[in-house]
Amino acid sequence: MGQAALTFEKVNAGYKGMTVLDDLSFQVNEGEFISLIGPNGCGKSTLLKTASALLKPVKGRVCLFGKDIRSMRQVTRARYIGVVPQKVESPMAFTVGQIVMNGRIAASGFLRGLVEEDFVVIERSMIYTNVLHLKDRYFMELSGGEQQRVILAMVLAQEPRILMLDESIAHLDINHRYEVLRILKRINREKSMTVFLVSHDLGLSSEVADRLILMSEGRIVAEGRPEKVLVPEILDQVYDCELKVQRDPVTGSIHVSGVLENFNGSSKKHKAVHVIAGGGTGIELFRRFSLQGFRITSGVLNEMDSDAEAALALGIDAVFEKPFSAIGEEAFQKASFKAAKADILVVSDVPFGQGNLINLQLAKEAIEAGKKVWIAEGIAERDYTEGKQAVEIVRKLHADGAQAWTSLHDLMKELKADH
Amino acid sequence: MKKYQDTTLRPAAMLGLNTISGARVALFFVCVPLLLGFSLLLGPTGMLWPDLDSPVERAIMSLRFSRLVMGVLVGGALSVSGVIFQAILRNPLAEPYVLGVSGGAGLGATMAILFGAVAAVPLSLPIMAFASAVATLFLVYWIASRGSGGMPSVYSLILSGVIVSAICSSLIMFFVSMASAEGLHNVIWWMLGNLQPVSFNQRLFSALFIGIGIGGAWFLASRLNALTFGREMAHYQGINADAVIMGGLLCATLVAATAVSMAGMIGFVGLIVPHVIRAMFGPDHRWLIPLSAVGGGTFLAVCDAFARTVIAPIEVPVGVVTALAGGPFFLLILQRKMKNAWIG
Repeated sequence: MGQAALTFEKVNAGYKGMTVLDDLSFQVNEGEFISLIGPNGCGKSTLLKTASALLKPVKGRVCLFGKDIRSMRQVTRARYIGVVPQKVESPMAFTVGQIVMNGRIAASGFLRGLVEEDFVVIERSMIYTNVLHLKDRYFMELSGGEQQRVILAMVLAQEPRILMLDESIAHLDINHRYEVLRILKRINREKSMTVFLVSHDLGLSSEVADRLILMSEGRIVAEGRPEKVLVPEILDQVYDCELKVQRDPVTGSIHVSGVLENFNGSSKKHKAVHVIAGGGTGIELFRRFSLQGFRITSGVLNEMDSDAEAALALGIDAVFEKPFSAIGEEAFQKASFKAAKADILVVSDVPFGQGNLINLQLAKEAIEAGKKVWIAEGIAERDYTEGKQAVEIVRKLHADGAQAWTSLHDLMKELKADH
Repeated sequence: MKKYQDTTLRPAAMLGLNTISGARVALFFVCVPLLLGFSLLLGPTGMLWPDLDSPVERAIMSLRFSRLVMGVLVGGALSVSGVIFQAILRNPLAEPYVLGVSGGAGLGATMAILFGAVAAVPLSLPIMAFASAVATLFLVYWIASRGSGGMPSVYSLILSGVIVSAICSSLIMFFVSMASAEGLHNVIWWMLGNLQPVSFNQRLFSALFIGIGIGGAWFLASRLNALTFGREMAHYQGINADAVIMGGLLCATLVAATAVSMAGMIGFVGLIVPHVIRAMFGPDHRWLIPLSAVGGGTFLAVCDAFARTVIAPIEVPVGVVTALAGGPFFLLILQRKMKNAWIG
């Protein structure tokens, strides 16, 4: 393994009033083929912009081959790191040859213009990416795959030592994607150029990269060989959904896929869940439960409350009380009737006051009927009743077998395990 | 050893990476002196070879020559300014006046005329027009950059340019509505634009400014090429995009403000000449800038020759001729050749 090519040292970076990269540290060595993966909005593009000095870190240091990027001239930096963005467009009708020439402009300096050597480099990078035959065509007339190769040629003409690609191949069809990947593999191998691929495609990343870096919410969650990073325990958490990871026994490549069917063809009757919520705490529960195919009932909710609106919108069988008023006897009886028919009862992290305390009675009834009850943790912080009555009730419920849940992710997992 | 030459200039450049057709350039440079000669000789009675021995004809020729120089300078300046604005703003609708140069210059000139400075202080009109044009650009730039924290985006530049222009126009209208009949005539005449020769010294200074501006823009040409892919891509390639944008805007405003201070507001040239040159020779700014300078200058000189002869002894405002005569011709070219210039 070569020397350190790209180093982030405790980097904080982001945009006005919003930190995206949070105390990020990692190192990429020369000659490595790295793939950066992570869900949308996790900071992949911000990382790329920070690495190419488009964004200044708020804190910390970014180094290219041991030199701080801030003290580096633009031209020097471009010799170290080249970036292929997601999409490049020029409103003007440049030909492919003219576009690839752009890669040499910074290096050629203000006064001297392009010389013989520059054209050698340009020609070489066009041959490498197989676009030489397109040199007189208009760039914008080319297909997506060809355009991507032209941009790659332009960046290669910079002769960078690190090549960063920002989702550049995501929108290409499979044969063009592999064509670009083969080119990348080849320059990685032959010129020991460091390749840093930002990608959405987990399977593809595992195929081409020596090492994966998995990011989530501005931090690095895992890094290492693909088979170490692409494991369900890590991925489920990061992508917050159920994923299947399969290894191809022949090629050893890893295939990651989501789960389309919620019940894997089981003909079991869908379980019913009664949700106690309010103030918007139930929306995500409703959404997830209905995605998973549960039959949902809810209540008592106050009309015009955001959970009530959500329940109406999702067609959930819910019991309502008049807006901004305490839950009355009639509504409670209806809710009790519905909750009695449910298999599971879930209490969201809804704050309790005198007005809705009676909803906890539903949980008590469920426990008494021998059903599973899940209550969101931290009741003490959202108990606004006199004398902390809700805390007391929940304590008793837990003593009688009610379980606590902290994250939606875990709750869903537990419920599905029961299923 | 390195050969310090631009291989793209060689007819048989390597790889066929030469970006421009040599034959077309040659044809272009044959046409230019012919057209300039034509506009020099064109008088109200048609083309006549002047009798240089007669003092009257010599005076006429000298006057025509001065106008020719004015046309070449102003036309070249406006065209190059248009090229730069179109490249930096990445917008085919950009023209020299897009960032408020016209509004600012117009306001300055109107005040100079109406408040009597013109009569009192020599050269106060061009100086006021120039200064307020440049000041307007800085104002627009400042407004646009405040919202985005640092470099203004292209869109905020265009928007604030348009708005500042509108405010300037309203102020001009306000002043004009208060003005006397004579002042009104002067303002309108100035705003229509004309190429009546200004003093020799002013021409000299203007030529210097325009030369600096066009030279500076040419200097930035290959970087302007890279900049058409957007500021981020240019940055990735190691180009100091912000500096190029700043430098380009300065050059463009310098030449446009100089042109306006010489000849008032002549429309159309700065918008359309860059398009035609681009359609004929491609979008490479290393060629586009010098060719637009020459092409725009020639175009305006020819238009002016018509303007002063068509219904002589009355002079048609040259801006009318540029639009009326040039428009259809350019539309024809654009229709056939647009593919070579812009996408779409």
